Amino acid sequence: MMLAEENYRIRESLNNQGVIFCYSGYMTEAILSGIGQAIKQKLTIEETDSKTVRSVFSVFVEQMQNVIRYSVEREPENSTDNVLSYGLITVGQSNGNYFVTCSNKIRHEDKEHLDRQLSRIQKMSGEELKSMYKKILKGDVPESSKGAGVGFIDIARKASQPIEYDFADVDGTYAFFTLKAHV
Amino acid sequence: MDNIKIERTERTPEVNFDFSRNTFVLRGESYPENVPKFYGDPIKQLQEHLNNLEDGQVSFDFDLVYFNSTSAKVIINLFETLDAAAERGLDVTINWHYDADDDNSAELGEEFGEDLESANFKLCPRD
Repeated sequence: MMLAEENYRIRESLNNQGVIFCYSGYMTEAILSGIGQAIKQKLTIEETDSKTVRSVFSVFVEQMQNVIRYSVEREPENSTDNVLSYGLITVGQSNGNYFVTCSNKIRHEDKEHLDRQLSRIQKMSGEELKSMYKKILKGDVPESSKGAGVGFIDIARKASQPIEYDFADVDGTYAFFTLKAHV
Repeated sequence: MDNIKIERTERTPEVNFDFSRNTFVLRGESYPENVPKFYGDPIKQLQEHLNNLEDGQVSFDFDLVYFNSTSAKVIINLFETLDAAAERGLDVTINWHYDADDDNSAELGEEFGEDLESANFKLCPRD
């Protein structure tokens, strides 16, 4: 296959899903800054209302930071400073709403915990999210629900619909996790 | 104590802690790469300063356009620190600035402010 043909096919497949921004690869805080600024600029040019721009940006930042902090594909391994964390992020528009998706590899053993946390968040009302958000920020969270990441709650609060997520099996060790939020 | 003045960047707010006037300001965006590293020292100095104050007026302006969830944790801790100082007898006012069309920020300010027992809290919409 021709080079351009192959890449055009990838581009068209993303365009058909409404994707405006897509990045797959090693993520860093500098990449977060760069793509974040471009998203603000693009949405502002489209005369998106400032509340939506702020919410899309905010969901984007929380999603990127989740990958940077929690992706198991990272180099150097077991480091927290200056890491490269592998993930995939898309920002797009469908049916008049913006969406942000973020994916990264996780270990199978962490799947159950993440699933439990997210399914709980998914079912929470606006009021419940609000009170859980504050409880976590204040550190008043029972040990059993530790790691009900405040980032996920923040995303759910900014989203206009319940968050969507699922997992795909990669191999015996890893699963691929994806979270989608509509703003 | 020397005043603290840090210029704002794309990802970090202006920090203006004036210990002689007891006016404290955070202004701009807050999603630092490393939140504890950015806020650690200024907040430690603020806490020491407040602990040594016997009486007087203190004002803290939160004038943030955007802050991420990790910064929110810092903000809520600051509210608690300021409220504790007010409980000891200081006259503390917290001003929460937000864009008039940003109901998310107004709501967050209200949520954080409603738990204050002794400090004064003001919602200040920007024009």
